[in-house]
Amino acid sequence: MSQLEQRLVALGQELELPEAPDLAPAVLARLESRGRPFPWRRAAALALALLALAAVAAFAVPDSRSAILRWFHLGGVSVERVETLPPAVERAQVGGLGRKVTRRQAADLVGFRIALPPVEGSPPVYVLDDALATVVLRAYGHAVLLSQFSSSNQDALKKLAVGKTTIEPVTVNGNPGLWLEGGPHTLTYLGRDRTFRERTVRIHGNVLLWLRNGITMRLEGPLARSQALSLARRV
Amino acid sequence: MDRPLDEPELVERARRGDLRAWESIVRTHQGISFRTAYLLTGSAADAEEAAQDAFVKAYRALGRFRRGAALRPWLLRIVANEAHNRRRSAARRERLALRAAAQDRPGDAVPSPEAALLAGEERERLLAAVESLPDEQRDTVTCRYFLELSEEETATVLRVRRGTVKSRLARGLDRLRAELGEEAE
Repeated sequence: MSQLEQRLVALGQELELPEAPDLAPAVLARLESRGRPFPWRRAAALALALLALAAVAAFAVPDSRSAILRWFHLGGVSVERVETLPPAVERAQVGGLGRKVTRRQAADLVGFRIALPPVEGSPPVYVLDDALATVVLRAYGHAVLLSQFSSSNQDALKKLAVGKTTIEPVTVNGNPGLWLEGGPHTLTYLGRDRTFRERTVRIHGNVLLWLRNGITMRLEGPLARSQALSLARRV
Repeated sequence: MDRPLDEPELVERARRGDLRAWESIVRTHQGISFRTAYLLTGSAADAEEAAQDAFVKAYRALGRFRRGAALRPWLLRIVANEAHNRRRSAARRERLALRAAAQDRPGDAVPSPEAALLAGEERERLLAAVESLPDEQRDTVTCRYFLELSEEETATVLRVRRGTVKSRLARGLDRLRAELGEEAE
């Protein structure tokens, strides 16, 4: 370094700069406030997570000594009950729910009719990867997310890890289903290239999964079991 | 957690949505980020805004951050971009000032009043000369010497090639020498 350069460095050290403010509180407040108010933001992450959730199996007996306490697998889905949840995102960092289209266009894209409970008007359908269709519904005063996809693509399996969540087999109009309630759980999902994505999404809402005419349906939101089942039966 | 997490671990956690990890990163880098923004915008208020926006945007852009890359230049690049959007004209910039001179530094002999005065004048002249450089050269000199970034970091932050940093520095130093009436070394 030349003498002039050394003098410049020394000069920089002697500059009277304004004191640096603590930026962390404002930054965090902005990130937190952006992440929460829109139910579909978290739903967006869920939607990806759902891409290939298929039907749900009956329970196995938990082995409390193993890290994985319970594991079941059916069709494209495996559900693990674990002692501790992996680090997970609280906030959707993935893209949106997909393209916003009409119900008819959605059916063309995913290859099956989009089933809905009786609703007013025609809510938009969000389609992701031409595979997953999602509708945001209002039910019991809450925004809930109804997603559906064809279970035929069993290769695109996903993995669902469950913490201290109640998992209960249910039936919806005679079809097998699964109710997940209480405590956060996480989903780790497979990308389309069949590699596990690293993102794990933490879900606080309750989830009802069930099969309907070969289509896997998923309802997610702050609903009680009876409300979710009642809504599902009307789909 | 028994031990403090190192930066790659914090980045990885933040990437997964851990805001506490991001908070830790913000606190580590907010000083240099603010100083960078201040030197580029010439306004403390604009610098605070730029640095804050940069940390919000950087968090959202973590998915694009290349694993294993150095975080600081990547962050400062976003800071510099935000600062650039708020850049003030030279006339409206807050004047850079030097700390009160003659603060005794440990190990230094106490300078005579004359020496201190001369040193003070010389520094003021040098600072004024830096301030009068064309923007591109001023920014490069500022990053490289005032912020003490490496050439490579300076190139990343200012979004130019390393060769461009070198040439801007060379031209800037020439100009400073001319301004100060000094011979090239």
